[in-house]
Amino acid sequence: MNDGDVILQIRALYKTYELGKENLVRALRGASLEVARGEMLAIMGPSGSGKSTVMHIMGCLDTPDQGEVWLEGRRVDKLKRHELNRVRSRQIGFIFQGFNLIPTFTAAENVALACEYAGMPRRKAKAAAARALTRVDLGDRLSHHPSELSGGQQQRVAIARALVNEPAIILGDEPTGDLDTINSREIMQMMRDINKSTGTTFVLVTHNPEVAAACDRTVCMRDGAVLADEECRPD
Amino acid sequence: MRTVKNVFRRKLRAFLTIFGITIGIFALVVMGSLAEKITLLVNGGTRFYADKVTVSQGGSAGFSVNPISVDRIPAIQAIPGVRLASAGITLPLDKEQSASFGVPAMISASDLRGRNLESFKLTYSQGRELSPDDQGKAVVGADLVQKLNARVGGFIKVRGRSFQVVGILEKTLTIPDDAVIIPFRDAQNIFFNDLPELVQKNIKPGMLATGLTIYPKPGVNPDRLAEEIGKKYPQYDAIGPAKFQQQVTNSTHIFTTIVFGVALISLLVGGLSVINTMTMSVYERTREVGIRKSLGASDGRIIRQFLGESAFIGAVGGITGLALGWLFVLAANKAGEASGTVIFLLTTRLAIGSIAFAIVLGVLSGLYPSWHAARLNPVKALRYE
Repeated sequence: MNDGDVILQIRALYKTYELGKENLVRALRGASLEVARGEMLAIMGPSGSGKSTVMHIMGCLDTPDQGEVWLEGRRVDKLKRHELNRVRSRQIGFIFQGFNLIPTFTAAENVALACEYAGMPRRKAKAAAARALTRVDLGDRLSHHPSELSGGQQQRVAIARALVNEPAIILGDEPTGDLDTINSREIMQMMRDINKSTGTTFVLVTHNPEVAAACDRTVCMRDGAVLADEECRPD
Repeated sequence: MRTVKNVFRRKLRAFLTIFGITIGIFALVVMGSLAEKITLLVNGGTRFYADKVTVSQGGSAGFSVNPISVDRIPAIQAIPGVRLASAGITLPLDKEQSASFGVPAMISASDLRGRNLESFKLTYSQGRELSPDDQGKAVVGADLVQKLNARVGGFIKVRGRSFQVVGILEKTLTIPDDAVIIPFRDAQNIFFNDLPELVQKNIKPGMLATGLTIYPKPGVNPDRLAEEIGKKYPQYDAIGPAKFQQQVTNSTHIFTTIVFGVALISLLVGGLSVINTMTMSVYERTREVGIRKSLGASDGRIIRQFLGESAFIGAVGGITGLALGWLFVLAANKAGEASGTVIFLLTTRLAIGSIAFAIVLGVLSGLYPSWHAARLNPVKALRYE
């Protein structure tokens, strides 16, 4: 794999959280990983293995204590707050386990908010939101509030929100964790379709072997490090 | 729209916070109206005293009820720099003066000798001014019309005597609003009756005045003239424009400061409740802030969102406070008209100022909570339940 094909790379990341004075959690201990452009990658591993921390750092929500993060050929781990905000709004999309929609906003407003943060004027953002929601088959639910939508539909709104700015990479933190089997499959299928049709890179943190199986590649994490592919075993 | 929605997510809390600001602004508007009225009164006084000297015996700022004899006029007129001295009488309208705010209702009379020199011109909404030959006639100040039930051609009772109203004054927003102007001789008689019997024995009503108004010759400094008269007649108070300013503005400054101080304290309390509400609101929406940050919201965006909400709380509180204060002032003045005590004046600058103040207060109170929101760690915020 040459460098041009790598969209995201983490090198020897270390991260320690201080929960209390004497209670240090060493979440990452030298995690390294390369993600190829256009691939759909699953990260598996037991709770506390550092999956979420890796995802937060890859998504520029958090910074490592040590190590490097390269996104589309640019080092992003040392960026300032406002630069990280910009990277998040334009190059990265998030899909969370709990959907994380703003409850007082309609589906369209939730999606449009991402466009506005990426610098789009309000009217354009509205149109883009409508297009993205149509893409996830929610074109008829634009003015529904999250509470009026099923879990699967809410997660589809979140997908629309993640892809509306055409980011380089979409990061999913247990995207099917709160969904039943049928909805899980539907959501997984939708992400697969988007990955195929747009070439958007996906990195999904998951416990679900079915999700992992649908991905191009699976890596495992244990004790704050990414294991070599062959060491990976489903939990 | 979003701002409004967000503020009213917690209806009761939003309502209570807005109500806090409302009370503060209400206090500011009502107290401020009081201070504005006093300020205008004083400004009127300043204008009245601008170019003359008043001489009275004791008392302050010329409002004395100690007699001064009109016999003194020729001697005073002989002082160099004096163009003319005119005698006048001011008396409380009601003999038993109840304590009241602002300026009590007065009876005012002048021998009218200085009327061509007077720079403080009165205008009449109805009827005419008094002439030197009038007897038993009266001109009524704007704020006393209702209390005295006065109309041109009708009769009013002043100290038990009947006077025919010949004119009604235009509103001046200062002292004449609360005055009944009557002929000098009638005022002398009323004044005479007020005096103790012992004093009455030694004087005639025709000698009586409560004060003299001294008009200086052109080019003569009234303050210096006042000083000279004071030196010559140490038993009198001779007050020029500068001294009036000093006497009256000092006390009104203290008054205005107290009045605004009270209002500001209530606003401080209102401001604290906005801080409290906004802090609560940020805590409750920690997760939402996390979501927004994950979408790449800049610090400025988050700050603006919350500041918008606190400014909105301030603005709504300000507008309702102003509206309530305005209604109160209207009602109180309406009620006051009947007794001749109109003590509030809601000026445009006070109205605009209080709304602006409410908004600024809202913004200031929102600064810390919104800054706090913007600085939240996105990962922790997203995990917040």
